[in-house]
Amino acid sequence: MECLLTRLDEKILSLKKRSKKALVAYLVAGDPDLDSTIELMHGFVDSGVDIIELGVPFTDPIAEGPVIQAAHDRALKNNTSLGKIFSLVKKFREKNHDTPVILMGYMNTFLANAKALKESYFLGTDAVLIVDIPGESNLEDFGINKENLASISLIAPTTSKDRIAKICDSSSGFIYYVTLRGVTGSSHLDINEAEKNIDYISSQTSLPIFAGFGIKTTDDAVNLSKISDGIVIGSSLVQMIHEQSESREYKKIYDYLIEMSEAIS
Amino acid sequence: MDNLTNLPNADGFFGDYGGKFVPETLMYALKELDETYSKLKNDPKFIEEIDQDLVHFVGRPSPLYFAKRLTDHYSGPQIWLKREDLNHTGAHKINNTVGQILLAKAMGKKRIIAETGAGQHGVATATVAARLGLECHIYMGAADVERQSLNVYRIKLLGAKVHAVDSGTATLKDALNEAMRDWVTNIEDTYYIIGSVTGPHPYPMIVRDFNAIVGRELKVQSMELFSQYPDAILACVGGGSNAMGIFYPFLEESNVQLIGVEAAGSGLMSGKHAAPLNDGEPGILHGAKSYLMQDKNGQVVDTHSISAGLDYPGVGPEHSNLKDSGRADYIAVDDNEVLESFHMVTKLEGIMPALETAHAFAALEQVAKNFSSSQHIVINVSGRGDKDINTVATMDGMSLD
Repeated sequence: MECLLTRLDEKILSLKKRSKKALVAYLVAGDPDLDSTIELMHGFVDSGVDIIELGVPFTDPIAEGPVIQAAHDRALKNNTSLGKIFSLVKKFREKNHDTPVILMGYMNTFLANAKALKESYFLGTDAVLIVDIPGESNLEDFGINKENLASISLIAPTTSKDRIAKICDSSSGFIYYVTLRGVTGSSHLDINEAEKNIDYISSQTSLPIFAGFGIKTTDDAVNLSKISDGIVIGSSLVQMIHEQSESREYKKIYDYLIEMSEAIS
Repeated sequence: MDNLTNLPNADGFFGDYGGKFVPETLMYALKELDETYSKLKNDPKFIEEIDQDLVHFVGRPSPLYFAKRLTDHYSGPQIWLKREDLNHTGAHKINNTVGQILLAKAMGKKRIIAETGAGQHGVATATVAARLGLECHIYMGAADVERQSLNVYRIKLLGAKVHAVDSGTATLKDALNEAMRDWVTNIEDTYYIIGSVTGPHPYPMIVRDFNAIVGRELKVQSMELFSQYPDAILACVGGGSNAMGIFYPFLEESNVQLIGVEAAGSGLMSGKHAAPLNDGEPGILHGAKSYLMQDKNGQVVDTHSISAGLDYPGVGPEHSNLKDSGRADYIAVDDNEVLESFHMVTKLEGIMPALETAHAFAALEQVAKNFSSSQHIVINVSGRGDKDINTVATMDGMSLD
């Protein structure tokens, strides 16, 4: 039925062909400001990042640890709205045509902008990842018509087997495996449990499985990349972006990403 | 009209409202809770255990008391008070916690967490946790820790740890955020006792069911005392647990008018209030779809109320459905009206209501004139006001230090 490959499909195919593990990087749109976000996105790509997850700030981000919560607050103080984020992605696309951009956020923000979200694919957005909706649900049932956007779902260590199959069925793009019980940036990484669960998920789907939450060191990254198709780095990047927000000097972050990228390849 | 008593449906929806909008890690815990509750709620042994606790530990039934001087003051309907303020720990909140702690016990959970605004739910949770010897953590907005210091100390005396939450607006909604984050992190051994008819399914149903004892007693007491069901029931609404508890058994009694009273704070026109059913739009917060105070970008806006327990931008999903269906009416009263009413009720009846409860009393100014002297209005006196004397003194320009 679908004949054209989306940007996300193409990226995933290309990673597969090269047997390369994906490096997915998260940052919060508008922290420290929208211009910096664009600069960082391009810098991320130049440092080996394959897919960008753009955090959509929300007043009550219940799945986030203190680092990302604070970034959401700063972005909201800058009046970062989903409308402005759509424009930011459009501007990013002036220079970048092949790095998928995923909007990661909370249901209420997407609901309030449901109409614009429908158009956002044509501005260069590739997928949505809504943190606070059951993965097996149909977004359309809740008033979100995502049109061509892929819908990424999370699977957690506590997700039951019967639901894993359902979640895989209603997802597209990739599956995001949450490596721990906790909020973003926690530190209870259990590689053995992750391996067992990722093995089971891959028996249920042909979608690639990326692992995230709690990756801090290159060791974490290497260990997780061995058992998955890619890794997601969030809190540690958000923390570094904040530390550099006075100087706007991001070389240290790019070096960190290059190191991560090389470590998992 | 559909049968409102049979809601929520299996997915946790009351009409358009409710659901389970939570991070994936919590889905399993919600299912576990739903299954445990479905199994136990009709188990005679479980019911007996709760009934015993409600009688001997909580002190139920609470009286239905005729407020003679208040009735004379309005020279309208006969005003009756359902005295939840006389419960152990001083509010309706204990009805829910005695039930939920037994669910926690049945599920083998060793660690209890809860959020609190005015501190009444924190006290009620710390109380039942102490009784069972369970570790207990209470999340409370830093601003509320300040204005409800008496309850903070009570919680500590009961052996629970109080975590002051500085994030966001440092009030009830932020305490809920933090409690949910704790739950996500400690999902295996922790039971989260939500304090209102809010949050993801099955909480709005469970908290309503445990509070519905209030409405069931009222059915019996009103027949005994004035040989009919009340013509109207008034209750304050923040998250809405005391209101839902007294409304629920009357949902199919269409002659009984149900009136919820929200906090208009500095006035509905000022925008500084906590009245989502009067001046909000449907949205999703803390796991459920319901009316919500939000801006056009879907960000939750700051609320204001003199009462910490009502200072919350959302409301239980069942109330949203009752509003849309027209079964209940929701009005709002502002801080000044509440303060005036607090003083009046205290002096006229010798009953000092909580500031939350004073909202229901203040609504009499709007409501009483619609009823005749042969009619009966019941006010749910959800809690007592000792905890609020510092706030009231400050508002009156006095210092108790």
